[in-house]
Amino acid sequence: MFERSLAIAKKETRELMRDPVYLGLSFLVPVCIMLLFGYGLTMDVKHLPIAFVDHDRTAISRDYIDRYVHSEYFDLIAVTSEQGDATHLLKTGRARVIVDIPSGFARSVMGEEPVSLGVTVDGSFPTRGQVTYGYVMVINGLYSQELLTQFIQRQGINPDAILPVSMELSVWYNPSLESKNFIVPGIMVIILMLFPALLGALLIVREREAGTIFNLFASPARRWEILFGKAVPYSLVTFLEYLILFTMSVWLFDVRFIGSFWVLSVGALLYSFCTIGIGLLVSVLTRSQLAAMLVTFLITVTPAFNYSGFLAPVASQDAVGQFAASLVPATYFMDIVRGCYLKGLGLEHYAGSLLALAAYTAVLYILAWLALRKRVG
Amino acid sequence: MMWRRLNAMIGKEFLQLFRDVPILFILTWAFTGIIYLTGHAISMEIRDYPVVVYDLSQGSHSRELVSRLQKPYFKVVDYVYSDAEVTAFLDGGKASLAVIIPPDFEHRVNEGNARFQVISDGTLSVTATIAGGHIAEIANTFSRDILLKQVGLTSAEFERLPQVDARIRIAYNENLTHAWFSSMLEMLNMATMVAALLTAAAMVREKEYGTLEQLMVSPLRPAELFVAKIVPTVVMVLLFSLLALFGVIKGVFDTPIRGSILLFYSVSVVYVFAAASLGLAIAVLARNIAQATMMLLLILFPMMFLSGAFTPPESMAPWMQYASLISPLRYYIDFGYQVLFKGNGLAEVWPDIVGIFVVGAVMFSFAVWRFRQVYK
Repeated sequence: MFERSLAIAKKETRELMRDPVYLGLSFLVPVCIMLLFGYGLTMDVKHLPIAFVDHDRTAISRDYIDRYVHSEYFDLIAVTSEQGDATHLLKTGRARVIVDIPSGFARSVMGEEPVSLGVTVDGSFPTRGQVTYGYVMVINGLYSQELLTQFIQRQGINPDAILPVSMELSVWYNPSLESKNFIVPGIMVIILMLFPALLGALLIVREREAGTIFNLFASPARRWEILFGKAVPYSLVTFLEYLILFTMSVWLFDVRFIGSFWVLSVGALLYSFCTIGIGLLVSVLTRSQLAAMLVTFLITVTPAFNYSGFLAPVASQDAVGQFAASLVPATYFMDIVRGCYLKGLGLEHYAGSLLALAAYTAVLYILAWLALRKRVG
Repeated sequence: MMWRRLNAMIGKEFLQLFRDVPILFILTWAFTGIIYLTGHAISMEIRDYPVVVYDLSQGSHSRELVSRLQKPYFKVVDYVYSDAEVTAFLDGGKASLAVIIPPDFEHRVNEGNARFQVISDGTLSVTATIAGGHIAEIANTFSRDILLKQVGLTSAEFERLPQVDARIRIAYNENLTHAWFSSMLEMLNMATMVAALLTAAAMVREKEYGTLEQLMVSPLRPAELFVAKIVPTVVMVLLFSLLALFGVIKGVFDTPIRGSILLFYSVSVVYVFAAASLGLAIAVLARNIAQATMMLLLILFPMMFLSGAFTPPESMAPWMQYASLISPLRYYIDFGYQVLFKGNGLAEVWPDIVGIFVVGAVMFSFAVWRFRQVYK
């Protein structure tokens, strides 16, 4: 019964082997992306260029400036007394923050009076803006607290009483808060969504463009046998790719991995069939290789990147976003990957995601089976 | 003479493009739906960060504290009543932060030494760090308010105490609306990818169908052939960018466009020309569309990666800062944000324009040179 599928699988394997450039690229590109993200991506916002407009020009205002400059978060670009210079720096992006110290700053500080100063943060890159905002709040807050503490001490009050409520923060799963621990496994999920789908996207449409699809139409192979024969070798290639990426993540990048390799691999195998299935379905529905490639690219990368929980928790998305997330198979695999790498949960935690992946895959192949017609025209 | 040849070829390319109705549909989706999806998603910013609360104290102070965990940063997803439930919420990723308030919170607040516990899911380390900062700030403000109440200071009196009040103004994007940034970024990325892929495909298709030989024996020169392949792409990509810019970025997300659209589009012509040249350079090397796509991704990912959209250029390692100089996308993104978003003019953006010209010219020359070598 599987003979015909096997024959098609053999033919597909041979075809894959005979385009070594393509086969090589489909392994090389993911590995390169992994290297790039693993080694190069620092999401940490540091060395932000900062400029000061110092109208005060006293030892105290310089001390205030030093609070920023002596942190690794800011790099001093300029201290001027001209508003225009600073505005120009912000406009051209050479400075991301401008702190405007008013004249009389030192007098107010010495005279134990409150003083306010203006800070302008470049908000054109919002994440960076948010982080910058936080840094300024913290550095200014510490300075302010020092003034307040000194004042209170002089009034004869115990400064320990300043904070009647304190917070104890503990960090789970990734206690050292290293970004590689989420970026490297996350990018593996994205890569395994895109590249297998691109491989699968060619399977039918290439034969259609070359005209060899008629050989398949005329053959005794049934529709499901054709799909199966095409999907299996490519899914196994994908699984191999997963093994390479997994090895890189653990050995090369030293990503924390505390869960079960077997659970992860079962998930990866399902995911391989699923993403090849996405490509295969696109391949059945499109009429040109270009269209197949474009559609596959569009339905895999952007949704997986934005909605799978790669950068933001799925739970923080709104209803539309959560619905979008539920349509992306990467969401389910991401859940398994995060669990296996960082959380080390029991098998029962993965059941839902594994089941969802299996159901998703089944639906994809059924749709492809329905859409594939062994007819001309 | 040259114009007649070019005209004929460009006409043929346009005809081929417009007859491919599925591709037109796909491009429409790419420049509307995909850009909407990208802008709509939450990315690395803290917005509606999911919090689960386990309040053992159930007093007025604890309720006051919990009520401060509010939008836009936090969203309380549920109240639970056991440690096991807290763990389940964090394990399942249903919450990224757990706030646990001990039973003695109420009276210890009055004694001045209350504590509460926060468990943070550190998986997404960047957002976890930002969220930790925000909740620390909430705790501090809460603490201060309690103190003020205890010593009987009104907030007006408090404001007269010595302190530095930093009035932070966010320029260009007051509320740090992420959609403004991400939707525009996606448009610039999409323009790059589509320009390179469409051109590469138009060229590789001639190879696959064997019609390239016909073009070779025609009087068309290589540079003319290349220009003819690029022009329709430039026109299409710019038209679709207009759709994206006014239909989605401005139309849906209401992003302010402060600069000169004319300047943006004049430079975009050059940029898209450069990106299309990249597609040609690839098409010379690739034998089929599959290979071309892979090669393109091999180049595009590092390009997007080095563009400064993921990591601000100033935070990159030095070798990356230098490497980013050869990524045309880096100049284009910087240019796009400066013009559309900051409202800058030629005086500020000329270095980016020079960068785009130089990188584009190098790519186009490389493609023509390789093509001559291969098909002499």
